[in-house]
Amino acid sequence: MQLYLPIAEIPVNIFVIFGMGGAVGFLSGLFGIGGGFLLTPLLIFSGIPPAVSVATVTTQVVASSSSAVVTYWRRKAIDLKLGTILLCGGVLGSLIGVILFQVLQSVGQLDVVISLSYVTFLGAIGGLMLFESIRAIRRRKSGVAPKARKPGQHNWIHGLPLKVRFRRSKLYVSVIPVVGLGAIIGFLGTILGIGGGFMMVPALIYLLRVPTNIVIGTSLFQILFTMAAATVFHSMGTKTVDIVLAMTLMIGGVIGAQFGARMGQNLRGDQLRLLLALLVLAVGLRFAVDLLLTPDDFYSIAIRKGAGA
Amino acid sequence: MSRLILLLSMVLCLTTGAQAQNRPAQELVTSLSSDLISIQSNFTGTEIVIFGQASNIERQPNDPSGYELAIVVEGPPQDITTRRKGRFLGVWVNREAERFQNVPSYYAVASTINISNMANRTVLDDLGIGLNHINLAVSGVSNVALSDRDDFRRAFVRLRKQMGLYSEQETSITFLTDTMFRTNIPLPANIPVGDYKVKSFLFLHGDVVAQTEQTLAVAKSGFEQVTFEMAQSYPLFYGLLAVSLAIFTGWLAGVIFRKD
Repeated sequence: MQLYLPIAEIPVNIFVIFGMGGAVGFLSGLFGIGGGFLLTPLLIFSGIPPAVSVATVTTQVVASSSSAVVTYWRRKAIDLKLGTILLCGGVLGSLIGVILFQVLQSVGQLDVVISLSYVTFLGAIGGLMLFESIRAIRRRKSGVAPKARKPGQHNWIHGLPLKVRFRRSKLYVSVIPVVGLGAIIGFLGTILGIGGGFMMVPALIYLLRVPTNIVIGTSLFQILFTMAAATVFHSMGTKTVDIVLAMTLMIGGVIGAQFGARMGQNLRGDQLRLLLALLVLAVGLRFAVDLLLTPDDFYSIAIRKGAGA
Repeated sequence: MSRLILLLSMVLCLTTGAQAQNRPAQELVTSLSSDLISIQSNFTGTEIVIFGQASNIERQPNDPSGYELAIVVEGPPQDITTRRKGRFLGVWVNREAERFQNVPSYYAVASTINISNMANRTVLDDLGIGLNHINLAVSGVSNVALSDRDDFRRAFVRLRKQMGLYSEQETSITFLTDTMFRTNIPLPANIPVGDYKVKSFLFLHGDVVAQTEQTLAVAKSGFEQVTFEMAQSYPLFYGLLAVSLAIFTGWLAGVIFRKD
């Protein structure tokens, strides 16, 4: 069934979009990720204008993270104070992101920046995760217990000023890295149309040493509000949020996520991370190929002013 | 409005007709199957039928010296940037850009014979009949070498043709009788909204002896229009609405699929 999208101004097959939302939702439920980094490229490859894809996925991420936030809230697995400070940084980063997005769009370099960022971040994160998960699987097979976190273990981040105590996370760190981290993820999320959970979670664990049981809920909490802000900023700035496309993706997404979450419970953590790492690397590689191979068509057009701009 | 145009075109016919030999004045009357295309959520493209009558012509089929017709459908103007990729540090990025200003967002031409045989270049250029003859003005600032300008122009037209937004259908106007004709113009799903112009030209030996112009409106209607208007006029409200819908959907899913 074809459905005309009011903002994207093209008709799409609603079942294809619904299926995409469902498939990405399944993976996000399986791995506990937002899935934005998969959904945005899928939409772009299927012919939705990049600007609309990026802006609309931010809305979809709001839906997928809000259902998870409710669950973590009930389990009291969210550090509100940490989440709120991350959020302040996130909104700031998101605002800068929207401005840069418009600048890049007007000079015609948005697509290449999106592609390059995907290659860089997905390549780096995917590589790290792959390395880490293989090591974990080997360690499990050889039966060596992983090294527990030593109390009082510090890195350079703990030497920064403006320290604040986060009770639920049992942390006493400076707000500078917290705001900075929030800002970077908010910025990238707005530019790339991703929630950034797959970057936020390792950063919180390895840089700030937030306990693992608090990390996912807090990260989702911050993503929920950052992406909500990004949706509003995109609506006001680029005016490319397509509410019909977003609704179709959301409904597919939340349903798929439930099935994914159930299946995820039957897999081991390190196996899941290995699979996720391969997935992340594959998406990164897909972008790299596009950047490096000689394009089929050297020319492209973009409407600047007048009808349909 | 259409009556005025008809009247004007009749006056025009009379004057130009009088110059072109001493035949009776030619009259050209055209009519559209619909003068409003409304885009709703099930819109997947459509077509318009243009009917017309050219009276007082003695047209012989395939007669090179006879009367010929061309119909141009033009969408609202746009500024469009055409970019060319080049290698930069091993990566393919957009390098040169050419901005075409006030070019039609949609352009379709239908004719009775090959456009190049209809009239000489100057006439076709003046009237903008044929993809090789539309006026594609470029902006003053551009980093495209003069020798490459034509490549950009060709690429622009080619890409627009690929999108179905520019088309040329030679010999697609058919005569139903000696004087009555019709043609179909396809309007693809991705047509921009706005006011379109439908211009019809009657040629005799390469000169325009009569012409008409009508308007065709393409507009979103119903839900599509409400949504688009809201996104444009009340962006803050639209954004907040999108967020509330998303949170509600997520919350609802959480409630429906609640396990614990």
